[in-house]
Amino acid sequence: METVLSVSKLTKNFGKLCAVNQLDLEVKRGQVFGMLGPNGSGKTTTLGMLMGVVNPTAGNFTWFAEPASHHTRKKIGAVLEHPIFYPYLSGRKNLELNALIKNANPANIDKVLNIVELSGRQHDKYKTYSLGMKQRLAIASALVSDPIILILDEPTNGLDPMGIAEIREIIKRIAADGKTIILASHLLDEVQKVCTHFAVLKRGTLMHIGPVDEVGKGEEIVEVQAFHDDLGVLLQEFIGSATIKKEDGQFQVMMKEGFHSADLNRFLFECGIVASHLATRKKSLEKQFLEILADAK
Amino acid sequence: MLHLLKVDLMKMTSYRTFWVICGLYFLTLGFTTASGMEILKWLANKSLEFGASININRIPLYHFPDIWQNLIWISGLFKIILAVMVVISITNEYQYRTLRQNIIDGLSRWEFLQSKILTNVLLSLVSVGMILLITLLTGFIYTPKIDWAFFLRGTEFFLVYFIEVFSFLSFALMLGFLIQRSGLTIVVLMLAHMIEAIIKVNIFRASVNDQIGWLKPLFPLESITNLVPMPFARYAFQEIQDYVAITAVVVAIGWAILFNYFAYLKLTKSDI
Repeated sequence: METVLSVSKLTKNFGKLCAVNQLDLEVKRGQVFGMLGPNGSGKTTTLGMLMGVVNPTAGNFTWFAEPASHHTRKKIGAVLEHPIFYPYLSGRKNLELNALIKNANPANIDKVLNIVELSGRQHDKYKTYSLGMKQRLAIASALVSDPIILILDEPTNGLDPMGIAEIREIIKRIAADGKTIILASHLLDEVQKVCTHFAVLKRGTLMHIGPVDEVGKGEEIVEVQAFHDDLGVLLQEFIGSATIKKEDGQFQVMMKEGFHSADLNRFLFECGIVASHLATRKKSLEKQFLEILADAK
Repeated sequence: MLHLLKVDLMKMTSYRTFWVICGLYFLTLGFTTASGMEILKWLANKSLEFGASININRIPLYHFPDIWQNLIWISGLFKIILAVMVVISITNEYQYRTLRQNIIDGLSRWEFLQSKILTNVLLSLVSVGMILLITLLTGFIYTPKIDWAFFLRGTEFFLVYFIEVFSFLSFALMLGFLIQRSGLTIVVLMLAHMIEAIIKVNIFRASVNDQIGWLKPLFPLESITNLVPMPFARYAFQEIQDYVAITAVVVAIGWAILFNYFAYLKLTKSDI
């Protein structure tokens, strides 16, 4: 698959503080790439370097296998941190300005206003917009040049649940169009819902990189509850259990490879026990994220 | 090039402050330069002594070719208003963080600077055009008998006026990029002449003035002021410089280049 972004040994120091440390990354065409990390882990600094507003201390990167320049930036739609527009211009005028800078076809403006559902307010001044509308206009401006890749930094920051759902829908629709997306977020649930790949940063260092659907592969956790005093002892006798934990009155059995909840159910039944609760839990991205960060200590 | 100018004009032409300040600039500039004769008449009425001793109609304030230098010198006093507009235009980009977004959207930093410089060129050209128009109008009204042989003498001051306005706007542009905050930048801009004067007073003491006095015209704001010498002393029978001094032009152009270069350095070296 064609490589869209390739980063090698990218480093940024602010005085003594190392904000980004020897970062290596690769994003391929069609991926929805999540960048995860706690606040201050270097996500925005990294994107700032990739977009030419922060000068790297060391390392380099290429977009579309070309050395980065303002020409490559024109093929990228990006919104970093929060929406930035001229407050005294209307939403539409702001997009016209974006289109002019990017040498984009002005006919796209109506299309992207429709995508983010802002056509009705396009002639109002930007400063009269609500936060949700500002975020949506930002996505529209990123789309106006019909870019190959979209970079969104915390696009749902500060939005109410409805606004978050709307933005998420928009992102999914764009991804379904086959666009490559880099999504920086600290909302894990968001990344798990929309991303295909993800990377985890901590204090500027890359901790993990891989596909989202590999999260929770291999290990199955089964929650069991039953009216039996020695359930814990019994579960240990089951050849499929790797570890057993008791949490909130339930047993959490981590299965060995090749064993599934059905095997456990059968085993309990053969012992004459009927489970009152039996559920398979896939490891969530949140759990894996916390594990990755914990390992790093 | 034209594309970059279009980018900056698009930001400006929908900005009400821009129209208000530019409107005030051209109105005050126009009315002041056009109403010199009325001011003289008012003075003559007000002070009988002045009116009795001097026949104001014999002061060739608006007569070709005197008028060129007279009106251009007066116009030079108003460039500070335009400079404030330039400061606002640049510090706004920092305040709204739109500079950052412009770069993200695909302008290079140098292109961004060019778009601002081109607007400065345009504002300077419009100023020149405005004064040219007023001079021609008032000149033809007030000059009793035009001597075509000397008609064009002094028109070279228009070129110099362009350099004067552009150099000063470049100075404002540099301050905007260096300081980035509008209020502070405007205060520094207002005080700049005074600060330079204080520095000069302290450097050029009488004891050393003989040795290093030649350095004085090299100071940035002094060099801009020296471009068009004050002409009115000639009506009190004093000798004035009624020609363009090439060295002053060279120094002022040198500073204009440096101002823009300093802005370039600041813009390209820093994270935005």
